[in-house]
Amino acid sequence: MTRDTAPHPATDGPGDVLVATDLVRRFGDLVAVDGVSFRIAPGETYGLLGPNGAGKTTTISMVAGLLAADAGTVTILGRPVGPHRIDVKRHVGLVPQDLAIYPELSARENLLFFGRLQGMGGKELRHRVDEVLEIVGLADRAKDATKEYSGGMKRRLNIGIGLLHSPTLLILDEPTVGVDPQSRNAILESVEALSGEGMAVLYTTHYMEEAERLCDRIAIIDSGRVQAEGTRDELVRLTGELDRIRLTGTGDVAAAAEAVRALDAVDHADADRHSLLLVVRDAPTAVAAIVTAATRAGMSLADVEITRPNLESVFLHLTGKALRD
Amino acid sequence: MRTALAITNVELRRFLADRSNIFFVFVFPLLLVLFIGSQFGGGSSGRVALVGAGDLADDLVTALESDHVGVTRVGLDEGRELVARGRADVAVVVPAEANGAYAAGEDLTVQVVVGNQAQSQTTEQRVATALGDLALRQGQVAALAGAGLDAEAARAALAAAGALVQPARLEVTNVSEIAQEFAGLGQFDYGATSNLILFVFLISLAGSTTLIQSRRLGVTRRTLAAPVSTGQAVGGQALARLAIASFQGAYIMAMSSLLFGVEWGNVALALLILVVFALVAAGAAMIVGSAIDNEAAAGGLGVGLGLVLGALGGAMYPIELFPDTLRRVAMATPHAWASQAFADIQRHGRGLVEILPELGVLAAYAAVLIAIGAWLLRRSLARAI
Repeated sequence: MTRDTAPHPATDGPGDVLVATDLVRRFGDLVAVDGVSFRIAPGETYGLLGPNGAGKTTTISMVAGLLAADAGTVTILGRPVGPHRIDVKRHVGLVPQDLAIYPELSARENLLFFGRLQGMGGKELRHRVDEVLEIVGLADRAKDATKEYSGGMKRRLNIGIGLLHSPTLLILDEPTVGVDPQSRNAILESVEALSGEGMAVLYTTHYMEEAERLCDRIAIIDSGRVQAEGTRDELVRLTGELDRIRLTGTGDVAAAAEAVRALDAVDHADADRHSLLLVVRDAPTAVAAIVTAATRAGMSLADVEITRPNLESVFLHLTGKALRD
Repeated sequence: MRTALAITNVELRRFLADRSNIFFVFVFPLLLVLFIGSQFGGGSSGRVALVGAGDLADDLVTALESDHVGVTRVGLDEGRELVARGRADVAVVVPAEANGAYAAGEDLTVQVVVGNQAQSQTTEQRVATALGDLALRQGQVAALAGAGLDAEAARAALAAAGALVQPARLEVTNVSEIAQEFAGLGQFDYGATSNLILFVFLISLAGSTTLIQSRRLGVTRRTLAAPVSTGQAVGGQALARLAIASFQGAYIMAMSSLLFGVEWGNVALALLILVVFALVAAGAAMIVGSAIDNEAAAGGLGVGLGLVLGALGGAMYPIELFPDTLRRVAMATPHAWASQAFADIQRHGRGLVEILPELGVLAAYAAVLIAIGAWLLRRSLARAI
């Protein structure tokens, strides 16, 4: 589903939390965002995948009402978003890429402050702060100054502040940058849990693995434009690339090659002395028939390896450059 | 307003959580008040180390202490050492034979070791006066005793006669303008006022770096992503600067009053001057913290500007002692106007009406600086996004 064929969500779909339509933002001569459109349903995790400088942060700045769009519109729950639309911001939780917390203050003090900015107060705020501290696993360090925290703890607090007022839409801007693998996994699990609870999530990243793991739908963004949008499988199909299966073993490899070539799913098969490399359609479905055919033809299998095209391949296919460029 | 107060509250907490502020906000200003007060030395009536025993020594101690001179009774060597180290203005050595001469109402001789302190000459004069009074009284007693009166009865008669006579009162009026300007000023009063003015401005400007830090950390961006208008964010920061400046000033007022007995005159008026001057400092802090994006540069500029304006505005050296030209230049600083307003209520007992000109000038400074600061702060918020 390339940009040219992607539907432009000019009006809210039934129950859509967010609808962004033809967003444009310029900085001088630079067009940072150029006609970006997407929509997010309740409980959906939507990914903006692209390299640094692709326009992801500018896009979410407009979605969060921080920046005015030069053209295009954003609505959240059907209400227009912009720097002067204060009330609609109550529905948005922003987790910025920077660690936007006060280092001199404790986690509790930071949460209380940002909670008050959201209009919360009294027992409701204190109760919610306790809940969020539990959610992000900082209850036992709640009174320590955050400058004493590890990078992962700060990231978790950063997310906790975004969650504090139970927003309808949670925007996470590269939340795992500079985080150790353990904390990163904890953050991803938190996002999965929130999505499971019905929260709409807009997730920007340049890590392909995170987008594949978390996002129901993904927009591949580069040079300020959405290059393609869809589910992971839909995007992969855009490349026209097929899956690959490598069979390794002993016995009659040549006979096995002949046997698997006869299968409909197999597009191409190359054999050498101890292995067989196959280009196939829908490897997960076809692999059982391929293994059976090769075994019957006299090949004794030691290993089966499946390789499928990923979002890296998609990005390369669409832009002609690697995702990490 | 609730949002602005939340921002003010958190900025004040950050200010108090900064450990470097413990010294520069809480300790250093009071040390300077103490130091400047000790230079003025106005409240002290002298310190005497007294060597010797007997009636003359005892009566001299009583006479000096009734004249508010501090007396320490010591041995000869210790007395000399105290004077040499500047811990006593003079040492008075009362020899044993002086007691006999004193009892007989005859001429007596004591030894006085005078230090090189500014106060020493005055204290020596006080000692001489006290000794003269004692010798005169003893001479009168001896004369009456010689006329056949019992010594105790003579003392009682002299005491009764003294009570009947209203002692002559000497009032010295110094016609020097400078002397009149500082008339009635306590030992620590000038130091407390000048340091209040200096530190309210200095700490505000130095603290402006927290505005830059908030932008750098992304907290400003996050604040504006909440349901907070730009006006609320600017108002909150302005209020925070005012709270920090007022806190610093109120702390110096309270502690100097408690520790050094500084008289601030009409406290309500003193607080009014403080708040208006704190508004000026808040506006200046907003300008520095919004116009500059580098924390080190802003901190350096803030401290430099605070010190230069403080020195020029009479917060380090009394403006009354400036040459005329420099005094005219000084009046271009808000510090000089604040100093003048404090002097009016503190030294001359003037009221609200009399200090309205100073308050008006300070309010004008505050209005202009806060307007520019708010405009720059709005622009800096846009940069933060």
